[in-house]
Parts: sequence; C-alpha cells; structure tokens
Amino acid sequence: MSQLDTRAPKGHIEVSDFALSYETLEGPVEAVSNTHIHVRPGEFVSIVGPSGCGKSTLLNAVAGFLKPTTGSVTVDGEEVNGPSADRGMVFQQYSLFPWKTVRENVEFGLKMRGMPRSQRERAARTLLGLAGLEAFEKHYPERLSGGMKQRVGIVRALATGPKVLLLDEPFGALDAQTRVIMQQILTNLWQRLKISVLFVTHDIDEAIFLSDRVYCMTARPGSIKAEIPIPLERPRQQSMMMSSEFLALRRGLMSLIREESLKAMGGEINELAMQGLSIDLHGHSLAEIL
Amino acid sequence: MSGPAVLRQREDATPVMVAAVIPEPAAATPVAAPRSFGTLARRWYRLNKDRLQATLIGALSLLAFLLVWHLLTKYRVTFFVRFTNVPSPLAVYEIFSRASHDPKFGMHILLSCRRIFIGFTLAALVGVPLGLVMGRFKLIHRIVFPVAEVLRPIPAIAWVPMAIMLWPTNEQSIVFITFLGAFFPVLVNTLHGMSLVDPVLVRAAQCLGARERSIFRDVYFPGSLPHIFTGLTVGMGVAWVSLIAAEMISGQYGIGYFTWEAYSLVQYADIALGMIAIGVLGLGSSLLIRAGGSLVMPWRSK
Repeated sequence: MSQLDTRAPKGHIEVSDFALSYETLEGPVEAVSNTHIHVRPGEFVSIVGPSGCGKSTLLNAVAGFLKPTTGSVTVDGEEVNGPSADRGMVFQQYSLFPWKTVRENVEFGLKMRGMPRSQRERAARTLLGLAGLEAFEKHYPERLSGGMKQRVGIVRALATGPKVLLLDEPFGALDAQTRVIMQQILTNLWQRLKISVLFVTHDIDEAIFLSDRVYCMTARPGSIKAEIPIPLERPRQQSMMMSSEFLALRRGLMSLIREESLKAMGGEINELAMQGLSIDLHGHSLAEIL
Repeated sequence: MSGPAVLRQREDATPVMVAAVIPEPAAATPVAAPRSFGTLARRWYRLNKDRLQATLIGALSLLAFLLVWHLLTKYRVTFFVRFTNVPSPLAVYEIFSRASHDPKFGMHILLSCRRIFIGFTLAALVGVPLGLVMGRFKLIHRIVFPVAEVLRPIPAIAWVPMAIMLWPTNEQSIVFITFLGAFFPVLVNTLHGMSLVDPVLVRAAQCLGARERSIFRDVYFPGSLPHIFTGLTVGMGVAWVSLIAAEMISGQYGIGYFTWEAYSLVQYADIALGMIAIGVLGLGSSLLIRAGGSLVMPWRSK
C-alpha cells in the first residue's frame, strides 16, 4: 500500500476531439461526437447522461476496448492503445472469475505481472482487509452478496496499482442501502490511494455525492452538454444530501438530463404531452373527464 | 424410514456435540446434551428428507423391476412379446456367480474397458483442444467446422466397414470406432462452451494485464469446463454404444461380442448377463466422469 501512497501524482486522462461511430448498412452511425473531457491526477470525475447517450462507449474507449474514429485518448500523455493494467476497470455485472476464489481474483492482476506467489498473497490479503473482506478470501464469488462481489471487483482493479480507475455503473445492480455503503467505501479507497477516477452512472445523487466534477452528456450522438464542478467539502456525509447546496446542484443536473432524456424520446412534443397529463381525477374515471 | 436415519445421525453427531458443548458452563452440559441429539437428528432428517426419499423410491423401483421380470418369465407370458425363452433373474444371477469365477468372462470385460479407455481418452485429448482452438480462432473454425459437420451425423456403426479397411488389425478398428463415437459430442460441446464464455470476463482479464495465453488458460478454458464435462459424459455414453456395436460385428472378444455369441450359442442367460454388464459398466464410467468433474470444478459444488 505504502508504495501506492508515496508515488508522484499520475493518472491524467485527456480525451480530445473524440468521436466514435459504428458502421451499418445505411452508413456510419455516430455514438459519440465532438467530445472533450479530462481528469486531473487524483480527481474524481463522473459522467452522467440519458441512457444510450454513449457514456459507456466513452469509458470503454478510455479503457482501450474501443478505438476512437477521430480524436485521441491519452493517459499521462501516452496514447491509449488497447486495454492494460494501467487502467483498472470495474464492471456493472461484477465480472469476477467464478472459478477463482475471492483472493485468487484479487491476485490475478499481480500474477499476470509475474509477482511471486507469497508476495501477491500478502498484497491481496492487505487489500481485502481494507475492503472488509478478509474473512471471505477462500470463498467462491457465487456465494457472495452483490455488494461484496463489487467490493472484490474494486479491490481486484486496484491491486495492480493502476494510474486511473474506470467504473461503469458499478452500483447499478445493488439495492439502495448497499449502494450508499459502497459509495462510502469507494470514496475511502479513492482518498487513501489518491488515484484518478472516471465514474459512469445514471444516478445523479451518486454522481454529486462522489465527484469533484460531473460531466453531463447529451442524447445520442453523445457529446458534453455541461461540466459541473461540485464544490461540496470533503469528507462528505450522507446528511449532506439534504443540504440546500446539494439540492441546488441536483436540481440543475436534473433539468439538464431531463431535457436530454426527452430529446432522446422524441422531442419537445412529449414534454407538452407530459404537462397535459397532470389531470386530477377527483374520483371520476378518466373516460368521463376526457 | 425415519428410524435408521435418526439412529445413524446419533452416531455421527456425537463428536460434534462434544465439541459444541465443551465451551458451555459445566452445569448445563448434562441437561443440554440428550435433548440436542434429538433436535440434531430431527434437523438432519429434515434437511436430507428429499434425498432419503429419492434413495428409497429408487430402491423400491429397482425391486419392482426385478419382481415384474421374475413374474413375466416365471409364467412365460406371451402378450405381443414372448417371454418364453427369456431367462429369469434367478437364472441370470446363477450364471453371474459362475461367470464371476470364469477368467474368460473377466477378460471380455477387461478388453471392453481397455478399448473404451483408449478410444475415449484419445477423443478427449483431440476433441477438447480442437474445440478450444476452434472456439478462439475464427479461421480454424471456418476450416474444420464444415468437415466436422458432414462427418458428425454418420453413426459410428456405419464406420465399421471403413474402419476395417483403414486399420491393419481388428483391435485398432474397434478402438477407432469407439473414438469416433466419443469424439463428436466432446468437440461440439467444447465449442458450445467456448461460445458461451462471458466476453466481459475476457475484458476484465485484459484490464488486469492478461495476454492471449493467460486469457486462454484462466478464462476460456475454465469458462467452458462445465460444457466440456457435459461433452465428456455424452461422449462416454456414445462410446459404449459404438463399442458394443463394433464388437458385435467384428470383435473376437469384449462384452458386446460375449452377448452376441451367447445368442448364437443359444445361451439365453448369458445374453441378459452381457446386457446387465454393459449397463453397469456404462453407469460406472459416467459416474467416474461426474466425479472427475466436481474434482476439477470445485466452484460448482455446493
């Protein structure tokens, strides 16, 4: 752990002039267009946006799974060229190896690096201890709860000491209570390790609560609609989510996303229809009123 | 049914109880112990009720089968099918106790087992790696798949004349046919397993710095193991079918030959004995594969 703490700040993500399109019979379809984002070393940045806006596409490009059609993705000035252990990734569906125990999962990245067995066992135990999972090191993932699985997923991604951590809706499949706990664990790990984080979510509260900065994306083809700094002081408490500052940020982001979601669903006509639908029935049937 | 279960649990439970009781205050020990045996036993019975019931019904059903067989042969029933010449279970048991001392019968069984062992092992050693490689590399898949698809529907028995032409000895052609029987189920299931490996797991491995070789060894191979074992189980079954057919047609030894010879020599009890031996051997070999499966895939056993 100590070697992670003392190194020089690294993990500057720079995405510039980014566009990504898919080839179809009718010609290319743009998923993401004209996008610039950056994450400073040690910064926690979230991307929110309506579903299908290409936020996961963007994250996958930073991970190295997708190549941009135009533009570039660099980490610390180096062009991203395929996946690597420099960029740890956490997936929504946990994606732990079912045939490996919890500790073997965490050790995997270190093993790929050629670290000797005893050393990586010790490293894995330390990390599992940080996430409160030392008692489960010999369990197979199938026997863990969703929250525990995702803790293993995060710890596994951090084990190799990556420069940046990429998370693709990591808590989307968890219940509300577990989600809150996971957010605190993630914040904790992030502050200890001083690692850059790029976090994709559709949950606005989550984005505000966790981030230093939030990017809001437009509907397809996705691009950056707004960049919102989150000036809330740290450490952040759950109670902050009721503060007027938090609620103001939330309202702002909500309206931005709502606009885009409506656009994605077919334009402003829908919005008018939605307003028109606020009918008070007063005990009458809908047919009677109409 | 509950009687023996409770009794057995009492014996099993003793050491556990002792261990559990020691840390408790001394005064509580004698009072708690006898009552706990009962609760433990009842709990064990409740947890294993389903399995006990399955075993009991299974045993009863086997007994019923033997009884029906006995009655059908005893009264020489003729109702569409004729049981006039069919040996009774007792006659088969008698011939079995005689055959079990006969080295010739043992040799038939041993030879069949050896053919299965060689043919099946070869099929697994060729089929599994070929399936893995075909699943990973599109070009190899495109080259091999059409040929495999044309050869696959040909039953192993139809290969008998060709096998006799191909191989210099009878023994080799029988092993070849056994190999063919097992080969295609193993190949097809391995391929299927490869196609079902979660691509996100591959990505996760890549993000952790895994290269092609470790992705193959740590993701694709373990990921397709469940289907590989399905293939091995099915392949074992087809291997026995093919072996028996080949032995009946061109063999000189083996349990299939034994059964067919018994028919030619009008030794009816031997026919049934041969059939039962084939059934037991087939069951035993698939149990072996299942045991191997849970040994290799500890994450799947509950």
